[in-house]
Amino acid sequence: MYTCPRCDSNEADILCESPIKGCWIMYICPDCTFSWRSTEPETITNPKIYNPRFKVDTSDLSKYQIHPLIPQRRS
Amino acid sequence: MAYRDLRSFLDKLEAEGQLVRVTQMTHPEPDLGSAARAVNNLGDQSPALLFNNIHGYKTGNVALNVIGSWPNHALMMGLPKDTPVKEQFLEFARRWNKFPVPVERVETAPFQANKITEDINLFEVLPLFRLNHEDSGCFIDKACVISRDLDDPENFQKQNVGIYRLQVKGKDKLGIQPIPTHDIGLHLKIAEERGENLPVTIAIGCDPVITTIAGSPLAYDQSEYEMAGAIQGEPYRIVQSKHSGLDIPWGAEVVLEGEIIAGYRELEGPFGEFTGSYSDARRQPVIQINAMYYRDNPIFEHLYLGMPWTELDYMTSVATSVPLYHQLKEAFPEVVAVNAMYTVGLVAIISTKTRYGGFAKAVGMRAMTTPHGLGYCKLVIVVDDFVDPFNVPQVMWALSTRVAPDKDMVMIPNASVLALDPSSDPPGITHKVVIDATTPKYPETRGEMFAPTVEPPRDTQKWETIIKQLMNK
Ligand SMILES: [Zn+2]
Repeated sequence: MYTCPRCDSNEADILCESPIKGCWIMYICPDCTFSWRSTEPETITNPKIYNPRFKVDTSDLSKYQIHPLIPQRRS
Repeated sequence: MAYRDLRSFLDKLEAEGQLVRVTQMTHPEPDLGSAARAVNNLGDQSPALLFNNIHGYKTGNVALNVIGSWPNHALMMGLPKDTPVKEQFLEFARRWNKFPVPVERVETAPFQANKITEDINLFEVLPLFRLNHEDSGCFIDKACVISRDLDDPENFQKQNVGIYRLQVKGKDKLGIQPIPTHDIGLHLKIAEERGENLPVTIAIGCDPVITTIAGSPLAYDQSEYEMAGAIQGEPYRIVQSKHSGLDIPWGAEVVLEGEIIAGYRELEGPFGEFTGSYSDARRQPVIQINAMYYRDNPIFEHLYLGMPWTELDYMTSVATSVPLYHQLKEAFPEVVAVNAMYTVGLVAIISTKTRYGGFAKAVGMRAMTTPHGLGYCKLVIVVDDFVDPFNVPQVMWALSTRVAPDKDMVMIPNASVLALDPSSDPPGITHKVVIDATTPKYPETRGEMFAPTVEPPRDTQKWETIIKQLMNK
């Protein structure tokens, strides 16, 4: 398991590896859906220096707008 | 002559000197996004870019900025590459009126060469990359997304082909942003009311005409394929999916078959948008991919978004201006041309003849009540018929010399706008303004006394031709 740079979740996992092996690894966070590549700059990959304005708090999802609203099912 | 696929259009661009091949090894980040921004910064004659050496891929092809300049937009329509913008607009408007042109149906397509239905991994086939620094992942942002109205599934006209941003959220999973007022928003609402998933087919790397039409505001029951036929001047070629029954552009490089999961939302975004601002993270629907088809050595076509102008502005500019023009003209035949090319028409400029004082204000308000104007047309500038709305210095002249702020500004409070407008508050609500920059007319009291406009000397046009000929010697 890996730490998500955006929401600090420890549930992040390997998404896939480069088609030519050994070039890069993609990671994905199941909690906030952020994904990143091992070869990206540290401002993307390091939770400590990830842009605070773009950090995501998954403890209360009601803060995030639902778009579009889920309609009532027909009876 | 119609382009049946992206490849033949790239060949045409190369023959016309409007394609640059990048063969040096290129990193997905930040090289591809940076190159895409850079080519937009080079001005309105810039070429398309074709990369074929992406780090980590044996065969990785990425096409960027395919329609991202006026020459490329003209070539998309089969016009000479130096065709002026207003002429491109008038020709597009003329062809628009040929709608509908019935489609050409065929049984097989090149994308059927490779088929994957198990262990799908989008990253194996597509050189996906993060475009702008704060994007939440890799996006697919220039694909045709095809869906149907599940209450009327046999209705070909209600089948929609649209472009929506897609966040890659897994090897076989995408996020999507369906705007409620767009056709796919209606399709999803109907599917969710029925408690059913919405089948969608995603065609990546298509010919430039269907991509342009997919990004333009057609009516709900107008077929994008029949409009693409009108614009290209030949029936549009499609193949029906055996998987979903949806109709697919014949030339697509990569085709994804899947469904939007009903009643489910998940974090999506931010994404650097066409407004030049990031949209916030929102809870949006998810697509499960069930099958993938692709041509041999497929090309991933992608589009840079950010501070205008970018490729999107060339792609949507004429295609957005024309439906607004036709809808306005139904009510006001006096309208001469419409320029809705600033941020997809958040600013619109209309040139019109006026019959009497106050007339231009009515034209401006009508623009705000068209289907596209409802979500855009926040600032509408109305100019006289002799002002070219595509010539910004002329528009600035009209604003400078025709507008009396106390008489010519009309504010419509709390109108609707798309929620991606960063200035709207709450998102989706804004005041709107009509600026009447036409010459005042009776019974306005300024009309009688208004200073006469300087007419060009009699033989100006003749001399334009003579000078052009001398320049070409
Ligand atoms: Zn996360």
